[in-house]
Order: sequence, then structure tokens, then C-alpha cells
Amino acid sequence: MKKPFKTEAEITWCPGCPNFMILESVRKTLMNLSEQGVQQKDFAMATGIGCHGKMFDYLDISGIYGLHGRVIPTMLGIKLGNPNLTVLGFAGDGDTYAEGMGHFVHAGRYNANITLIVHDNQAFALTTGQATPTSQKGYKNKAMPFGKPTLALNPIKLALTSRASFVARCNARDIAHTSEILEKAIKHNGFSFVEILQDCISFNLETNNRDKQMYKFSQPCKDQEQALKLADEWDYDDGKGKIALGIFWQDTTRTPLEEELPQLKELLKKKVGWTGFKR
Amino acid sequence: MRLNILIGGKAGQGINKISEIVSCTLTAHGYFIFNYRDYPSIIRGGHNFNVLSISDEKISSHESRIQGIVAMDDKTIGLHEKELEQDGFSIKPDEFLEFGRNLNVALAGALIKILGIKKELLLEEIKEQLNNPESIKAAEAGFASQKEKFNLKKLNNKLTILNGSEAVAQGAINSKLDIYLAYPMTPATPVLHELASKQIENKFLVFQPENEIAVANAALGASFSGAKVMVGTSGGGFDLMTEALSLQGISEIPLTVYLASRPGPGTSIPTYTLQNDLDIALRGGHGEFPRVVIAPGNPKESAETTNQALYLAQKFNTLSIILSDKHLGESAFSFSEKINPPLKVEVKRTVPGEKVVRASSYEHDKFGNTTEDGQIAVENADNRMKKYQEIKKECEKFEMIKFHGKKDSKNLIIGWGSTAGAITDAIKGLDFKFLQVIYLKPLSNQIKTEMEKAKKVILIENNVTGQLGRLIREKTGISIPKENRILKYDGRPFRSDELREEILKK
Repeated sequence: MKKPFKTEAEITWCPGCPNFMILESVRKTLMNLSEQGVQQKDFAMATGIGCHGKMFDYLDISGIYGLHGRVIPTMLGIKLGNPNLTVLGFAGDGDTYAEGMGHFVHAGRYNANITLIVHDNQAFALTTGQATPTSQKGYKNKAMPFGKPTLALNPIKLALTSRASFVARCNARDIAHTSEILEKAIKHNGFSFVEILQDCISFNLETNNRDKQMYKFSQPCKDQEQALKLADEWDYDDGKGKIALGIFWQDTTRTPLEEELPQLKELLKKKVGWTGFKR
Repeated sequence: MRLNILIGGKAGQGINKISEIVSCTLTAHGYFIFNYRDYPSIIRGGHNFNVLSISDEKISSHESRIQGIVAMDDKTIGLHEKELEQDGFSIKPDEFLEFGRNLNVALAGALIKILGIKKELLLEEIKEQLNNPESIKAAEAGFASQKEKFNLKKLNNKLTILNGSEAVAQGAINSKLDIYLAYPMTPATPVLHELASKQIENKFLVFQPENEIAVANAALGASFSGAKVMVGTSGGGFDLMTEALSLQGISEIPLTVYLASRPGPGTSIPTYTLQNDLDIALRGGHGEFPRVVIAPGNPKESAETTNQALYLAQKFNTLSIILSDKHLGESAFSFSEKINPPLKVEVKRTVPGEKVVRASSYEHDKFGNTTEDGQIAVENADNRMKKYQEIKKECEKFEMIKFHGKKDSKNLIIGWGSTAGAITDAIKGLDFKFLQVIYLKPLSNQIKTEMEKAKKVILIENNVTGQLGRLIREKTGISIPKENRILKYDGRPFRSDELREEILKK
């Protein structure tokens, strides 16, 4: 029997890849939301190019399998085209923080009601293991045989300072926690950023098996200062420190972009997209 | 009757207002105008000038000989005096300095008097545009300061003034556009401004994302979810968009691009004009996929082809490009013809929210799922090309080429886009037929027939290498010899009197 929100496409991730678990977390979230009244036809996704992008083939919802690095503007566009859709984006760490960084830093201040989910495995896996901005300094790969010479980026801190109104991190292997966070992210009325830490079982193996370093916190931080401090506990470069998982920041006072634009506000009010809009 | 008035001053002084007041007054009086704008990339200072050309018959260009100078500063006189005809007039700013910000209004009043038009018409226009006592006072003082030199009697033409940018915006609004996305770039920005100012009353959305890459990808996203979308840019921004255009090719999400070209390579002379982006309009984006490229030659065509571009994009889920440039986009034209009623642009495809819909950058099967199957890759590629044949057939319903001049002449001139105005004016009364190419892709089969019939074929383009000439050679096998090409690439458009001399030399 066909599983809800699952296509019949053959899954081509490496056997044992945590992406399988991310897919399950997402399906679980979508099933929960559909029980609460969001219909399958009202979800739409954008995916980038990379291992994460295969989510497009396996998730049975509308979407665009877009370009590498362009998940955020594609999602933004889908939302502008019909603000009543529940819009999700699946992106990789290379996808978001390298090729697509120019969009990531603006998404927070735009604050469209969309949810960006980054599968961060600290490597360009589908192109055989080159370093991304979150790969640790010194990471040896085929493009950098003497080790990555540059420092890593902390995406949580960047999202916080770029004014994302919902910032969270979770562990791919923890399906219950991930789907709980994802549900909150999707329900948040504004731009939500969820970074899912995942092992790549084929490349950058030295970053694997960090579960022991991880701990969950239950409440979003009260202020940015505390959130930044929490985000700083773990260093993407040396891999040391405790890895905090949970919602670092949620600002429910912000108005989402669609409600700032009178034209889209009208579409929201009438519960239609542009195709159903009568001038 | 033909007059060319040069209006010059520093950036920010308001020379465009002079052109606007005088143009509107003249067209209300039944006279045709054409206003060319020449300005460097400076916000305040420097030297800007307009050439306002006036005629009792239809014109679409300006000329090199100047019958009058309206100067807002001394530099204007110094720079342009040599272009002034012997019995030409000049109006200097000195005696109107007391009007301060209304100096330009005073000069407009002075010019109207010289042209011999009644004060009432001028004041009506001032009241409509500015309506404040200081401006009216300045206009009256300007008017009183001069003697009538010409006597432009009232003509019965009912005229509209539009520049190419306003016309593209009008075409988009006529098509019931839902979303316009753009990042500022001269000379495409006037369309962004025009549409932004009209979005609320016409109920569509204008949004400016962080860069052209975001513009193009967000446009595909919005089109996917059901909006009729257009984006606007110039060459550099178009370069950034091309990966997304390629995504359009495989995902078949409708997309319309307004590409207003300016000189390249690089930043070059950014506020000037060149037709140097035909090649990228035809080929920008990796891979092989269908598209439509349309180049209007005047505002009426700009409005109509914008509608056609939006129509074709939706009908065939394809990419359509309206290719214009700074000269067409920022020059004001007057015309008496009505803009054709728009074709209805309809979104007929299923959109998200109705059921699950999938679009992909990968080669995909009928469910939208990724496939690397060679057979499907071939089928999909063949289907894309088959679609192009259908597009071609549909385009044949439109005016893909247009003829001007002496229809039975054996001397054929070929050109496209913004040069159409100067060419049409240059060949008045000469034994020449001008074939204006409006559809660059698909290209009309009739071009070959016309070239074969002609004794002589001359190519006229505002670029270095003759890009239309190359396209024609590719499609027809006929090469237009070098000595028959008139190419201008100093960033300035052709002036019709100079072009006429050039044509006669060929």
C-alpha cells in the first residue's frame, strides 16, 4: 500500500543515510498537519541540487526541483504566487551556505511565511565529498588534498543575526524531536530556519557520530544574546563542545511579508491564489 | 516642417520637465514629437540634454541639425552652439534665475512662445502637471520674455505620447499581469517604476528581490503557483538570470522577460544605447530549449508585443523575451494609432492548491520524477522541439515582420528594434523598402524571399558586429556583405538625417 505523502520512486540515497530519517520526520510532520486540516494539495516545496534534493522525488506534494543554491527565492516565489500555500524548502549546506548564501542572509529580514530545512552533512556529498562552508578546517577531500584551509561558518549565528524569526537545530537521527520542531517551524507565521545535522556516511566521516555531544533544550531563548551564546557552544571547526538542539529563537511579534503587501493580504483574506483572484 | 530643439542642463535641474511640458502642449496642438534623452551616469551635475524633435507629420527619430537651444546652464551653450543652424535661436537661463526651482518651467514658457503657440494651451498644461502659483508665474514670465519665431497653426491630430517603457508597462497591465519582479538596472528600471506606481489601482504586485538570480528563480516559483509573471532587466542582470532561464526550458514553467539592452561588455557606458544583446536573448541559458524573442520598434509595438509575449508564455508554457533598449525605452514618441486590444492571457495549467503538481530541473517522467533513462531524455527533447514548431505556427498569426517605405523598391534595408524609427524617417521619399524584423525567434521565412527578390540589401544595426545579420545568415544562408552594413556603436542612436546620408552612400 502507498504510504501517505510518499511517492513510489525508488530511493537512491546510500543505504543507511540519515536522509531516510529526515524523510520520515517530514512525512510524520505532514501527516500531523494533515490531521489538523492542511490538505495535501496545499503543500508546496522547493528543493535544491544535492543529496537532499532527492526529497523531491520521494515526497508526494507539489513542488519545484529547482537549481542549486536557489531554494529560498524559489520558495519565496511560490509564496508570492499563492500565499495560501504551505511552503517548505529542502536545501543542503553547500546549496544554502555556499552557492545560495546571497539569499539566506535576506530571508530573515523578508520574513515570508516559509520554512527552510537545511540538511547539513558538512560536505558536498553528491559531487563526492568536497568541502562546504560548514566543513571543519583541515578537512581533507579530493579538491583540497592538504586539508580545507578556511574556517567554518556557524549558520545558527548567521540566521540569528540576519533576523530570522524562527531558528532551530535538530539531529537527523531523532525523528520524534525533528518532526516536533518541523511542525512548530511550519506553524510559525514567518521565516523559519531549521538546520538538521546529519552524518554523511560516505564522506567527511570524521564529523560522524556526534550524538553523545548533543543535548536538547526545551524553551526558545529569551533574547538574542542567550541564543547566540547557545549557538556558540559547539564549534563547527574543531567539533568540540556540546551541541544544543531545539528552538534557539522564535519571534512571534513580526508581521510576515505577505501581510505587509496589501495585494497578498487580499489573496490571504479571500483564500485564493492569483489564478482564483477576480479583479 | 521639422524642428529639433536641444534642451540641456545639469542632471537634477529638470530638463525632462521642459521636454514633457512642451511635448504635451505640442501634441495637444496636433503636432508630432520625438524626444531623445542623452545623459551620463550622474545624479547631480554633469551635462544632460534632450533633443525634442517636432513635426507636422509622424516622426520617430531626432536629427543632427538643431534649430534651437534651451539652456539651463552656460555649459549647454558652449557644448552645443556648433550644432545650431545659422538662424537658430537660443534661450539662456540668465534672465530667469529668480525663479529658482521653476527655472525649467520659465524656459518651457519661453520656448512655447517662440514656437508661436497660445499662452492658454501652455497654462492648461502647467496647471495639469504642476498646478502651483510659482510655476504658473514662471511660465507666464518665460512666455512674455520672447518673440514668436514660428507660427505653429493648430492641427487636427489626436495624439498619445508614450515612451517604450511606459508602453511595455501598459502592455503588461493590459494582459492582466499578476507579478512583476525586477532588480534595478538602467535602462530597464523605468518599467519597474511605472508598474510600481500602478500596482495598487490595477491590483498586481511589484516586488524587488535581492538580486537578479533571486528575481528569475522567484519568478519561476510564482509562475508555478499560478501567477502571470514578468521580470525586467538589462544585459548584466540577464546574464545572472540565464541559469534560471535554462530551468524554465526543462521545467516548462511560463516566464516572460523584459530585456532592455545597453552597451557592453561590462559596465561600459551604462546610460547609453546599443543593440548588442540579441545574441544573449537568443541563446542565454545552457541546453537546448524553445523560446520566443520579440523586438518592438516603437511604443505601440512595445505594448502589443508585451501582450503577445505574455500570451505565448502561458499558451505554450515557454520562455518569451521582449527585447528593447535604452533608446526605445527612454525616448518619447507621439502617435495617432490605437494600441490593439490585448489577447486574453490565461493560466490554463493545473496549479498547486488544486492538486499535486510537480516541476523539475532534472529530466523527468510523466509524474515529474527524476529519470536518467536515455529513451525518456530523447522523447522529452523531441517534445520540446515539437513545441517550438507549434509556437512558430502561432507566431505566424502576428506581425513578425513589417514593411516601411517604398513597397515595390528593389533596394531593401533590414533592421530591428529601436533603429526602426530612424530608418523609417531616413528613407522618406527615397527608393528604399525597409523590412523591420519584429520576431527574432522564430524568424519569419519571408525574410529570405524578400532578400532574394531585392537588388541590393543593406543591414542597419546599432551594434559592433551586426547580430541580426549573423542570425539571418544562419537561417537563410545569405550573407549581407560588409560594405552593405551600416553599424553604429558609439552608444548613441542613429539620427535620421545622418542615416539618410549613409544610406545614400551605399
